Amino acid sequence: MQPITEHDLAINRRYFFGKSATGIGVAALASLLAKEASGQQKSLATSNGPGYDPGLTGPTHFPPKVKRVIYLCQSGAPSHIDTFDYKPSLEKLDGQELPASVRMGQRLTGMTAGQKSFAVAKSFMPFQQHGQSGQWISDMMPHHGKIADDICIVKSMHTEAINHDPAITFFQTGHQQPGRPSLGSWVSYGLGSESENLPAYAVLLDKNSDTQAQPLYSRLWGSGFLPSNHQGVKLRSVGDPVLYLNDPTNASLDDKRQLLDSLSQLNELRQQEVGDPEIQTRIAAYEMSYRMQMSVPELTDTSDEPESTFDLYGEDAKVPGTHAANCLLARRLSERGVRFVQVYHRGWDHHGGLPTRHPKIAKEVDQGSSALIQDLKQRGLLKDTLVIWGGEFGRTVYKQGSGNNFGRDHHPRCFSIWMAGGGIKGGTSYGETDDFAYNIVDRDTRGVHVHDLNATIMYLLGMNHERLTYRFQGRDYRLTDVHGKVVKGVLS
Amino acid sequence: MPFDDSGRMEFHDKLSHLKMSVMISRFQFSLFVLFLFSECGLFAQDTPQFNRDIRAILSDRCYTCHGPDSAAREADLRLDDRDIATSNGDTPAIVPGKPAESELLKRVRSNDELIQMPPPDSGKAPLSEKQIILLEAWIKNGAEYDDHWAFISPKQADAPTVQHQDHVRNPIDAFVLKKLEKQGLKQSPQADPRTLIRRVSLDLTGLPPTPAEIDAFLKDQSKNAYEKLVDRLLSSNRYGEHMAKPWLDAARYADTNGYQYDLEREQWVWRDWVIWAFNQNMPFDEFTRQQIAGDLLPNANDLTRLATGFHRNHPITIEGGVIDEEYRTEYVVDRVVTTSTVWMGMTMLCGRCHDHKYDPISQKEFYQLSAFFNRVPERGLNGFDPRRKIESPLQSDRLQEIDKRLAAVKQQLQQVAGAEGLPFAKWESLVKADEQANWDVTVPTEMKSAGGATLTVQDDQSVLASGKNPVTEEYIVDLKADANAISAIRLEAIKDPSTVNGGTGRGSNGNYVMTEFIVETASLEKPGQFDQVAISSAEADYSQKNYEVNKAIDGNIDKSGWAVDGNTITDSRTAVFIMAEPIKNAGEKIIRVKMSFQFGLSHQIARFRLAVTKGEATPLTLAIQKIFETPIEKRSPQQKLQFNDWLLRKYASPEIRQAADAVTVVEKERQTIVNSIPSTMIMAEQTQPRTTHVLYRGEYDQKRDVVDSGVPAALPNLPDGVPNNRLALAEWLVKPDHPLTSRVFVNRVWQRLFGVGIVKTSEDFGSQGDWPSHPELLDWLAVEFVEMNWDIKALQKLIVMSGTYRQSSVVTPEQQANDPENRLLSRGPRRRLDAEVVRDSALLASGLLVEKLGGPSVFPYHPKGLWQEINNRPGLSRTYKQDTGENLYRRSLYTFWKRTVPPPSMATFDAPEREFCVVRRSRTNTPLQAFVMLHDPQFVEAARKLAERMLNNGGTSVDGQIAHGFEIITSRRPNEQELKLLKETYQKRLLQYQQNSADATSLLSVGDSPRDESLDLSQHAAMTSVARLLMNLSEFMTLN
Repeated sequence: MQPITEHDLAINRRYFFGKSATGIGVAALASLLAKEASGQQKSLATSNGPGYDPGLTGPTHFPPKVKRVIYLCQSGAPSHIDTFDYKPSLEKLDGQELPASVRMGQRLTGMTAGQKSFAVAKSFMPFQQHGQSGQWISDMMPHHGKIADDICIVKSMHTEAINHDPAITFFQTGHQQPGRPSLGSWVSYGLGSESENLPAYAVLLDKNSDTQAQPLYSRLWGSGFLPSNHQGVKLRSVGDPVLYLNDPTNASLDDKRQLLDSLSQLNELRQQEVGDPEIQTRIAAYEMSYRMQMSVPELTDTSDEPESTFDLYGEDAKVPGTHAANCLLARRLSERGVRFVQVYHRGWDHHGGLPTRHPKIAKEVDQGSSALIQDLKQRGLLKDTLVIWGGEFGRTVYKQGSGNNFGRDHHPRCFSIWMAGGGIKGGTSYGETDDFAYNIVDRDTRGVHVHDLNATIMYLLGMNHERLTYRFQGRDYRLTDVHGKVVKGVLS
Repeated sequence: MPFDDSGRMEFHDKLSHLKMSVMISRFQFSLFVLFLFSECGLFAQDTPQFNRDIRAILSDRCYTCHGPDSAAREADLRLDDRDIATSNGDTPAIVPGKPAESELLKRVRSNDELIQMPPPDSGKAPLSEKQIILLEAWIKNGAEYDDHWAFISPKQADAPTVQHQDHVRNPIDAFVLKKLEKQGLKQSPQADPRTLIRRVSLDLTGLPPTPAEIDAFLKDQSKNAYEKLVDRLLSSNRYGEHMAKPWLDAARYADTNGYQYDLEREQWVWRDWVIWAFNQNMPFDEFTRQQIAGDLLPNANDLTRLATGFHRNHPITIEGGVIDEEYRTEYVVDRVVTTSTVWMGMTMLCGRCHDHKYDPISQKEFYQLSAFFNRVPERGLNGFDPRRKIESPLQSDRLQEIDKRLAAVKQQLQQVAGAEGLPFAKWESLVKADEQANWDVTVPTEMKSAGGATLTVQDDQSVLASGKNPVTEEYIVDLKADANAISAIRLEAIKDPSTVNGGTGRGSNGNYVMTEFIVETASLEKPGQFDQVAISSAEADYSQKNYEVNKAIDGNIDKSGWAVDGNTITDSRTAVFIMAEPIKNAGEKIIRVKMSFQFGLSHQIARFRLAVTKGEATPLTLAIQKIFETPIEKRSPQQKLQFNDWLLRKYASPEIRQAADAVTVVEKERQTIVNSIPSTMIMAEQTQPRTTHVLYRGEYDQKRDVVDSGVPAALPNLPDGVPNNRLALAEWLVKPDHPLTSRVFVNRVWQRLFGVGIVKTSEDFGSQGDWPSHPELLDWLAVEFVEMNWDIKALQKLIVMSGTYRQSSVVTPEQQANDPENRLLSRGPRRRLDAEVVRDSALLASGLLVEKLGGPSVFPYHPKGLWQEINNRPGLSRTYKQDTGENLYRRSLYTFWKRTVPPPSMATFDAPEREFCVVRRSRTNTPLQAFVMLHDPQFVEAARKLAERMLNNGGTSVDGQIAHGFEIITSRRPNEQELKLLKETYQKRLLQYQQNSADATSLLSVGDSPRDESLDLSQHAAMTSVARLLMNLSEFMTLN
């Protein structure tokens, strides 16, 4: 039993209603039709499909600290050594061979396993202290200096996967292989939507700029074995912002309204005839689709933002698909009650030329990420929003290749992410790596595994990661499998 | 016992009293238990049965710590084992007959956190009052255990007799009615014929009936009209296509590899096999045998080997850094999991890391099963082999046909050639005299490097570039040849130690790209005036892919040109440039050769040698020259053929050449077909089988005990007399006494037809799975299926012929309240159609559907940029190349399936990604589906074409036209109100479009298919609006 949950459990057990075989009859707080459903509980439960129980019913397990999450996923994996894990010790060690005692026979990827020399490379950028907290941040990320007191830098992240596909799949679904629901879909399943006009779970992709950009996969925002209405809805920067949102015939809203009215009447007639409650749900779905045709363009059109917004986020924010534009959009989504916003940037995988390529990506990411925190704060939203920034693993302290234009290979044993927002102890760092930024020194006590991070995210949303389960193939699956502990040290 | 609503109310009251009561008589218990089940709406018997009532409770709440997993077991207590459960320690968990003394009951009732079970920190919910009552009653009755029902071979019970015997069409109905009658319920009346033909057509072929088919059915007054309909549908080719769909989900079939860049694979020939096998009505046991072990069958052939593609459909990685064995292990595990789910409804994956928590599967047994699949000669990274070129069984007539034609033209050639055949030897003797050009190596008189390199002539008359190595380069070389005429110039790139790799190029990687090769001449009198000489063709002994030598004579001095993979292959190279017309009087001219290297990165030739021909004779091609120089006895058959062909073309009479050409044409055609047959991934056995180990925590590098292939002890033994390999596994699965295979398949067929299986958890028949709604029916069907020799069509015919299937699906409020999922089967099936069926129905309704069996996957309408937006690495990622023409309108199972970006409109309608085995899709109802139906060009276009059919075939009245469309969409005629509403829409729109033809044009220009221009624009547009409305009706997307 974890100490942190003991008390909360005692309180919440009384309120908790599991999804036991009896079923409570309360509708699922499902992704898209949550509000719609309140009047028609049964049809919604049915609409999750035969055999699919609703998600959480009743109050949350813990008093929630945040209502929503924005996850800035730095796909490709930024180097912790050159961003947030300040290591003055590397000044002396630079150029030396990585001692075997540090590497400890750790498995390497196929890309450097054959390399003969493992020469240590210090950060190619100097670090400065920022804010009242004096957090050390690389000069590559100057705008992060402004949020130094808001973010908690977790330096002791670790994972098991050493390649992109399994590693990012692990981060976002709790499992390296395809098949599990994504983090956001668990949240949608557990908490449902706060918005009547927008989905509970939105996904924003960058227009990737790096030639080595990482591919993504629908599974990263998929619903796995959860009903598929919990999957993330992509908000696109090219074409229809939501797939098939726009009528290719350019019909007027009036025409559409008329079509829907006639459709509803015909469907109602049929329902009276055959009594199928599913028809009511379909009518409601069409109504929501109508509302989305207005709410989505309104959401993505940032022309109503004052110039100060673009001062904050940078001019990039005017270009759809940039990280800055996506950060701004993430804020607008959060304002509108969207539970989970997943933002991807995927240019960080630099096996060569890292000292020239990392700064380019940092420039694309830095201002928008920092602006998002400042903006949420000034709007009073940061206190009930959780923002996470990080990649799927770190990068090696040793060089891939040689010379000044070296690369860094994948490094799962330690890396840095940051968290900010409700319930997070800003202006602090958590966990520590060794002099080589290669291993976590206090791994047993302060190491943060992927499952621990996910457990913590769930906790902040008011959910016990051990109790938000879904029965599939006879097993009550969790986001965190059979692992994960809430990381108390990052909580305020 | 009588039972009504008041009884139910009473039950609730009594339940609350029950909590207080300490002593309850056995009679009372029975009474309450009866109510309890009745309340569930499913069961109406009076004593708890272990399998039906108790196992689920113990399994779900207790087995995690007190079940089969020895490693996780607490306090040495097993509740899945009666002996231990009743004898454990001083205070046995269960004292049969004595609930009050049973520790189990004390614990589940306790509020004390230290005593209570399940423990508060276990994540398990406490038992409900109902469950506690059940346990208590069961213990009181002696706490008898049974083996898990699904692991006991099914026995066929006689169909029960029922009150409404007249409603029994076949034994299925007897089982269903028995249960309904026990609860005082009835079945619904039979559905009307229109509903029935729509239902059964959609269920058996995935497409609705046409008005003509409906008409014919309505008119058929014969007693077996419905049976004839069913037979017609089952014999349609559409049947196999429709049956294939859920099988493709289960088999995780896709057109890409999954993982990372998710590039395409060509596995569609296997998909064709599935369609073919279903249409052949291959019995399920054979279907199983071939897919699991088709390569090991005594009479194995290409078709049976093709079937084994089933187990190569899993994702395969190409991500550079992966550890090979890690992924190879994943593939093997995937096969175990998929096989267990598809054939046995077993959740075997648990066994990868530890003993199963709920079912009697040890970790060791998991790896014994995996051993069957661990002997494939395959890799983890890029693990596409073994593969084999096998023709699609749906297209095998193509080769047969062409082989016939080939034989005919060959015979023709033989006839023309005469009895002695063709005189190749004689022809070859002519070659020497006629054809062999002599090469004259020529030393430059002048030469210059535009980039400033130093050019020096070497001993072998070649020219070496040294010194400065510019980024781009041009060599300008003047030659003086002592020849009457020059028909060709030969360039040799000679390997030289001065390059980085001792090869031919000065590039930093050893390669070169000659971007242009230009020949000019000037007369000796006017040495400054050069004219370009046309080059007709070029040939090289080696060209790098995409850098063929003809790119050096394409007239573009760009970056394209001739390269030779010089970074990896360092051999000297030769290219020959043939002049369009021989250079006449060459001895009186200066020949200038310009070699341009504009690629950059110093990609220029390091050392070259030039030669010219001495006369007008054109040189043999390099390939022919090489064969010619090879002694006849050393020529390969391929070379002989090639050379003979060349001789024939050169020397044979026009008549012979014509006959030979005919052969060539057909041979080329044949080759095109052969080339279009992809290599399909199939299974094979290693000659030296890998050793299989138990893997600690399932990790690839944590090898523990060695195991041999085998099956779980809780299930029947492997068959005798078969080698212990995949074939044994296949034979084992289809052993008549295997308790799972038949039940699981029958249940999935039931699920497909009724929306919910008899066992709702069709993927889990284990102890965590649901108790069957009609256990005797399931077993009856399972036994029947085996006895009818696993005849899949017959099984489905049996079910759709039942009265149960033929009921009306109209739902009363009572039914909806008491049995929303229709588990009691008091009405007919009703559900939203699957993604594919929705799209196919729209295509059929519009008349656009192109029905062609099998073949490569197709690329219908698709939002622009969708693939690139999530995956756009230059050189690796693919763009979606939308098809044109008929491929836009094929059935949806042929749509190209990219795992990381599944076809978006289908994904919106709950189609799975196909990254892993799925045997039960979810069925949601979302606004995004409305977007697809309203805005996907596929549906907008379909509405336009449907409108054309309405206008053209629906008679002259608007009423008739609308009614025609309505019938196409819903299979019924509209009622007055519906017609009125639709007509209003039509008239309103007509007015609008008459006033604004731009709106009409905009509506009518979606989609590639041409508009029927004979139709009035406004009328067509107005009717298209009606058609869109029809296609968005809930009824269109619903089977009812």
